Amino acid sequence: MVSNPRAGDLVVVVFILAATAFLAIGLRWSSGTDGSVAVITKNGEVVRRVDLLSQSTYDTIQLGGQYDLTIEAEPGRIRFSHADCPDQVCVNTGWISMPGRTAACVPAGVLIRIEGSGDDGVDAVAR
Amino acid sequence: MKQANRLALLGLLTALAFALSYLEHILPLQLPIPGFKLGLANIITVFALYELNLRDTSLILLVRCFLSALLFGGPTSFLFSITGGALAVVCMFLLRNNRHLSVYGVSMAGACAHNAGQVLAAMLVMRTPGIASYLLFLWPISIPTGALTALVFSLCSRAFRRAFRRTQI
Repeated sequence: MVSNPRAGDLVVVVFILAATAFLAIGLRWSSGTDGSVAVITKNGEVVRRVDLLSQSTYDTIQLGGQYDLTIEAEPGRIRFSHADCPDQVCVNTGWISMPGRTAACVPAGVLIRIEGSGDDGVDAVAR
Repeated sequence: MKQANRLALLGLLTALAFALSYLEHILPLQLPIPGFKLGLANIITVFALYELNLRDTSLILLVRCFLSALLFGGPTSFLFSITGGALAVVCMFLLRNNRHLSVYGVSMAGACAHNAGQVLAAMLVMRTPGIASYLLFLWPISIPTGALTALVFSLCSRAFRRAFRRTQI
């Protein structure tokens, strides 16, 4: 029962990798063309829309708040550049540019999401 | 196993799982991939699944997630860890008795299910299907982390059995 790996374990590995591949294909197939607009929401309410296509320069957005978030926008991409949250997952996500992609600071309730032409993107969430 | 001894054992395992999850919190992560965790507390879950029954395993999981969320995190972190953990326990419970799988396969499947559960919860909370893309790197990572969990478990299992025999719990 313990210690030694068996033949079926390899099947599990292959299964997980196959699932990953299928997911990659599925996500690419369902999202549209170039990500054009990044929507920044806080607790479900839209605070800012950033048009990444018309961004000609580098822009910084200060969100302040409990965790003092800083968001950077460049032509075609956006990211959390600084946050005071304990886990730093948002900052470590780095740049996002593809439609449907997200970067989130869960403790702060802030989400950056790239809208795409193939998506049923939500503009606002009322709770 | 006597009722009192079982209770003591469950308490011990829960404390251990909680301590491991605390350790993960204070340990600086070398790989800054979002959501990357070694899943050390899952060693206890796998252990309980193989040595105890489903009910005890679920109990340990529930209390451990509750304590972790209570001390560091919050309601959101409880939701995320419990959905991942619950899905993992169900998945591993179903695969546990499979002849073709060892702990390694079961644990890797559990790790995969754990990530799927967490991402699913995040997708529902944030209402963003795009969060599913996190699985594209979380799932491959679950292979080595699941295998590591199984390795530690199998090393502990021998020592535990030896202690079992000596003290007759």
